[in-house]
Order: sequence, then structure tokens, then C-alpha cells
Amino acid sequence: MRYGPIVFLAAFLTLSASWCGFVLTPQIQLGRAVQETNSVVKAELYPQGRPGLARAGLEVYRADGCFYCHSQQVDQKKTLVDVFLTDAGKTPTAVAQALEDAHAGTFSAPGLAAGLPKPVLRNATMESASVLASLLKKAGATAELHLAPAGPDIERGWGARRTVAQDFISDSTVMLGSQRVGPDLANVGARLPDENWQLMHLYAPRSVTKDSPMPSYPFLFERRKTGQHPAPDALQQLPKEFAPPAGYEIVPKPEARALVAYLLSLRSDTPLYEAPLTPPAPPAAATNAPAK
Amino acid sequence: MNSPTNQPVTSAPRDNSGTKDPAVPIWLIVVLFLLVYWGAVYFDEHGGWFDSQVYTPYVSAEQLKTFQVSGGPNPFEEGRAVYAKTCVACHQANGQGAPGTFPPLAGSDWVNEPQPGRMIRIVLQGFSGPGLTIKGQPFNTGSAMVPWNGLSDDDLAAVITFVRGNKEWGNNASPVTPEQVHAIREKVKNHPLSFTPAEIEQISPAD
Repeated sequence: MRYGPIVFLAAFLTLSASWCGFVLTPQIQLGRAVQETNSVVKAELYPQGRPGLARAGLEVYRADGCFYCHSQQVDQKKTLVDVFLTDAGKTPTAVAQALEDAHAGTFSAPGLAAGLPKPVLRNATMESASVLASLLKKAGATAELHLAPAGPDIERGWGARRTVAQDFISDSTVMLGSQRVGPDLANVGARLPDENWQLMHLYAPRSVTKDSPMPSYPFLFERRKTGQHPAPDALQQLPKEFAPPAGYEIVPKPEARALVAYLLSLRSDTPLYEAPLTPPAPPAAATNAPAK
Repeated sequence: MNSPTNQPVTSAPRDNSGTKDPAVPIWLIVVLFLLVYWGAVYFDEHGGWFDSQVYTPYVSAEQLKTFQVSGGPNPFEEGRAVYAKTCVACHQANGQGAPGTFPPLAGSDWVNEPQPGRMIRIVLQGFSGPGLTIKGQPFNTGSAMVPWNGLSDDDLAAVITFVRGNKEWGNNASPVTPEQVHAIREKVKNHPLSFTPAEIEQISPAD
């Protein structure tokens, strides 16, 4: 073993370099992450943390191995940008020229100031949007960017934006998952917010989704004789082929309730600094006026 | 060339090797250099310089900065969120407070002053003391308003804008900017916590 110390040293340096890169550096960068402000509603902190029942549900999620088939990470390939002209400035001819230079189309200078804010570029790449924004700024106009994250995951409706490290800081076990036998669950609380649907789906997946390959989890529920007072939380809307025989009822156990609370707490649609997006416009205020 | 001349030719390379030829051929060095260069350029364009806030599809911290959502919703709605967290426990969701203990904000003269200076001082430093009468009701109990100078200028401006401009409560006063809050924060920095009504009355409404 003439080369023993050298081999040892080389192996040690190799392993410690990768430890520094994969463990130490991320720990320094993200290990002390705290709640940060929502980038649009500044008074709201993110993430809010999970309520107690949802925290218990995380353990059920882990114990039942949901992470074997479900991931919780949304990918984002690009951001599509709409450029809105908010103020045409004092030199509309220069602004119209800037729009033409950026290939945003031909606009007549006198008509620019009408109907602001108006879109001048739709679904553009980030590059062409920043070119146009800087040209408009030079021409004395102001523009606003509307950001729409895009990518296969987002087109499937799995999230409003990509997931980032900030999404996971309130969980001590992060259920990132690596396989996608089932859909991604990072935003399931926002896209399937119906508690009853979730419970039926856990008890009999094919009762709500016809060709679902998901196993059913009947052990999270109790089948018991309907007594004099039927349980108010028994599953009500099960289709015939999944419903218990007459005189019986299916009642969710606390585990099922906790798991559903956890699923409903999974959301990643908050605009953040590192994953900006323009939230959809809020619906118009409720009114009693008759519909037009 | 120190091998004896009578040696077979086949054994000659053993002695020749490594004497004149470089250990690594030049072309390999060039290829390695090009690969490293390509790697460095690729990292520069896609690596985000290991910034923990830069994720795909963004490539640098500067670019991320230019793609922040501008404007956002109005400070009034942000103020509603701040109010729900900090003020609602005493002043109540309807801004009516509690008789004799927590003064109402809805329709109060103190809130609806043309200039927000006095109200900003009250929120920043707290408020207590005898002799306070709002909407004809005395508020002489010992309960003092807590100073909220731990909140940021943005949050304070938002919540004061929300309270002053809340038409549902019958208020209709001008909005407040973070700059105004900051200016007053600098002015009252050395004032002891908790203004008294008499002190506030002495301050010019326009200040």
C-alpha cells in the first residue's frame, strides 16, 4: 500500500467536496429560511404553516406511502408575459415607434392613449417582453407585466407556478416524491377543495374517477351498522356499486379526516418573489342586482 | 538512445517512451480547454450563480428582479389584512370598538382628520390617558393602546389607509403613503411611548 495515503486523501477530498456542495451549501443558503411576505398581498406571510389536524395528516400520508405514487413538486419551463401599456407618456409617436421596433405590431400614435391599460403584447417570451419594456421606458411610457407561468405540469392544472424551497419550510418531513403514477399533489388543496370528494376518493377511488389506478383505502373508514342516530359524517353520495348494504354506513376514522385536512392544506399558488405570477383577477363583488 | 544496438527492435519502445513525447497529447488539452470553456459559458447562462432565489426559467437575480409583479392590489386591501391581524381584537371587525374601553374608529373625528399626522403618531407610539372623548363617549379606563412601531412603514400605511378610507364604516379620509409614516416615525423616535390626548391636541393637525 505505497499509495494508501494518497488514495485515502483523494477519496476523502472527493466525498467532502460533494458533501459541501450538496449538504453544506444548501444548508447555509436555505437552512434558516423563515416565512416571507407574499409578493402581491404584502401583509400576508408565506407559508402559513399547517393546522394541527393537517400536521397529523402528514404522518398518515407518510405511513400509507402516498409519496410512492404522488409527487409534490411542480415544474415550470417558462413564463409567458403580457405587456400592458398603462401610460402612453408625452411622446406617443416615440412609443408607437418603440412598439414597432419590438415587433409588437403597428399602433397609431394618436390612438395610443385611449383605453388604457391595454395589452400591447400577448404571451411573449421573457426576452422579448424585457426588450419591449426597456424600449417603452426609453420612449417615456410606462408598462406593466402580467406573468403567466407555463409548462407541462402547469398546463395539466397541477399548480399555478413552480414549487420552490419556500413551499416546504413548515414541514419537517418533506414529501417531495419521485414517481408520478398519480397526479402531482403540490396544489391539490386549491384544485380539489371538496372534503366530501376527497373522502369518497380515499374510500373508493373509482367511485369518483372512473379509470383511476389508485388503490382504495377502506381501512381509513369504519363500516358499521346504522344505529338509531345515523352518523352525520357518514359518506352519503357513494354510487350504488360502492355503497354499503342497507342498514350499514361508512364513517371516516380520524386518520381519514387528518389525511384529508393535510391534502386540503397543500397549496402552491401564492405569488412569491422567486416564483412571481400575476394572480387571476378577483371575481366582481357579490351583488343582488338581477343578472343581465 | 542508450539501448545497445544489438537489442531487438520490438523491445525498443519501452526505453523510448516518455522521454521526449509529452505525457498528454496537445489535442486532448485543447479539447479539455474547450469543454471547460463551454461549461463555464453554460453555467453563466443557466446557473443563476448559485443564487438560492433563482429557479428555472429565470437565469439571474437581475432578471428575476425585472419580472416582479408590478402594482399589485391596492393598499386598502393589504390594510384589511393587517387590520384583521393587529387591530381587530380591540377595535372589532366593524370598527366600533367597545364602549368605555376601546374607542370606535368608524366615524371618529380622530380618524377622519384631513391630515393623517396625528393618527400615524397614535398608531406608532400608542395612546393612553385621561380626558379622551370620542363621539360623545368618555374613554377614561386604564386600558392603553399598544404601540405598533414594530410594523413596517408599508404595513402601517396600508392599515391607516384602510381605516381612514373605509366607506363601509362611514370614514372617507385621504390615503397614507409609507413615506409619510416614515417621516413621522423619524420625528417621534425619541418620544416616550404612549401619547396622551393632551399631547396629541398640541400637535398641529397639518404636521
